[in-house]
Amino acid sequence: MSSKAQRQPAAITLLVVAVLATWMALAAFPFLWTLWGSFKVEGDFFSKADWFNALTGTLTVAETGGRFTGNGYYGAWVQEEFWRAALNSLIVCFFVVTISLTLGTLGGYALARSTYRYAFWFLLAALIFRAMPPITLVSGYLPVFFQWNLWGHTATTIIVLVAINQPFTLWMLHSFFKNIPAELDESAMVDGCTRFQAFRNVIIPVMWPGVITTGLFSFLLAYNDFAVTAMLLSKENQTMIPKVASFLGTTQTKGNVMFAVASVVSVTAPLFLMIMFFQRQIVGGLTAGAVKG
Amino acid sequence: MAEIQLKNVSKRWGSFVGVDNFDLTIADREFLVLLGPSGCGKTTTMRMIAGLEDATGGDILIDGSRVNDLEPKDRDVAMVFQSYALYPNMNVYENIRFPLKVRRVDPGTHDEKVRRASAMVELDDFLHRKPAELSGGQRQRVALARAIVREPNVFLMDEPLSNLDAKLRVSTRAQIKNLSHELAVTTIYVTHDQIEAMTLADRVVVMKNGVVQQIGSPTEIYDRPANAFVASFIGNPAMNLVEGEVADGTFHAPNVSIPGLSAADGKVVLGFRAEDANVVQNGGQINAPIYTMELLGDATMVSVRIGGALVSVKADKTFRAEIDDPVSIEVHQGHCHLFDAETGARIGG
Repeated sequence: MSSKAQRQPAAITLLVVAVLATWMALAAFPFLWTLWGSFKVEGDFFSKADWFNALTGTLTVAETGGRFTGNGYYGAWVQEEFWRAALNSLIVCFFVVTISLTLGTLGGYALARSTYRYAFWFLLAALIFRAMPPITLVSGYLPVFFQWNLWGHTATTIIVLVAINQPFTLWMLHSFFKNIPAELDESAMVDGCTRFQAFRNVIIPVMWPGVITTGLFSFLLAYNDFAVTAMLLSKENQTMIPKVASFLGTTQTKGNVMFAVASVVSVTAPLFLMIMFFQRQIVGGLTAGAVKG
Repeated sequence: MAEIQLKNVSKRWGSFVGVDNFDLTIADREFLVLLGPSGCGKTTTMRMIAGLEDATGGDILIDGSRVNDLEPKDRDVAMVFQSYALYPNMNVYENIRFPLKVRRVDPGTHDEKVRRASAMVELDDFLHRKPAELSGGQRQRVALARAIVREPNVFLMDEPLSNLDAKLRVSTRAQIKNLSHELAVTTIYVTHDQIEAMTLADRVVVMKNGVVQQIGSPTEIYDRPANAFVASFIGNPAMNLVEGEVADGTFHAPNVSIPGLSAADGKVVLGFRAEDANVVQNGGQINAPIYTMELLGDATMVSVRIGGALVSVKADKTFRAEIDDPVSIEVHQGHCHLFDAETGARIGG
């Protein structure tokens, strides 16, 4: 009976499939189009004569002899030293995630277990800071950084990104910790742990999905940031996103658009891999309330 | 070996009094039950002994030394939590072993100790399961095993049976009683269930609104409740309490007249237990229409209304009558308890 009731008319099934397929195509198209185009020459991918050239690659064949070319990648990674930007991104992301998570887990745990009222106001203030666009802070710190000779350094950017990111990590981890019953820490403390040992040996293992999820979001913030990194980093310390932007050129200088296209693909690919790799933890993190023993 | 002394222990949150001037000595190997309705301060008292809550006044002594300022881990107590608080990422074996590990007990002895503790609570077959894969009763036993594995000075149990279904509760209660006899360790047990208190305790502390109402053996508390609250809290059904007046040694209330009481004239509350009264043909001290009748199997519970109160009497299991039939109830004055109408305190012997 129930299976019959659950069975949908063929028309509905068809409609659902059609909507999903359309959505998938719309969502994936920009990525696939960029990936495809990154192996063409500029004359094809940005053809003024016929957009169809982007598919057939007429000029690509004429210029390089093959239907696909790695010139964009070669130009970006080797000529323009995009690898340096990738390395900078890696350094910035690593430290932003590490520092954010360290402060966030300790602070989030403390706030989650605090019985004082100020914990609430503290979190509310954090939310307000999180709501501000990062660019609004620039006028506050940029002159100071110039004055103190701190501008351009990777470390400065890391500190600013951590500061922007911290309210969010605190909030997120705080709510994850809230989901873990306080009796678990208390039990560990009666069993012989100090408060910190209870935190490290009992709470963090339970919290792991939450930590991974929060860490991933911190990573994405640092990885994708443009406002702060573009403002604060000197040319040799640039991370990938401002570097991509610089390939596009300015009103004064002519950029190489194909370098930008190739590096956009280079920036996006690791994200795909990472999300795939951590998807199990992310899903686990989003249902972390289920840990109640 | 541990004797626990509580000297005027208090807990306040601002102006709210959680526990007020708790004064008690718990003898070594005693099984003490803290009993009371929710919010009466029984769990707070236990948490102060465990060190999970700071006392705002008074001293807590374990074996003569003051422990107020010690961390929970330094008090050598073991606790079973209401929610069991098992470590969800560890299997049963690791859960039980955890206290040994963090206390740096010689690793060579771990296996033997864990296996002995798990055998005591019959968990041998489940050692490799995660808590999520266990039933409520099994989780409860893991919590017990984790508490007994390192042979602590004091056991603290916070409503350990309240999350179990009725049938399991009875068998686990028996298991806890047997276990405590075998281990002979000072135990403090918190519950709101008076049957658990009666069956398990050497001594019961009845609490209400943070104040101790009575301390005594289960028999004392049952037979000589110190006030009307204790009388109404202990026993199943609770003691019948009737408001009325004593004049010339006779208690009067609507439809009630019980002579032969030795109390001064004035307003009182009279109490007696359902099993201390009988239903008789006629000539009883209470004569009223039946309000309701309940068949319990081993007895028939007959209730009448006296003023605002419901008075229940255990009649023979063959007794049958209709609602609103007149009934006569015999209560001997020797089974009556008198309480002050104002304070609720017990009057006389």
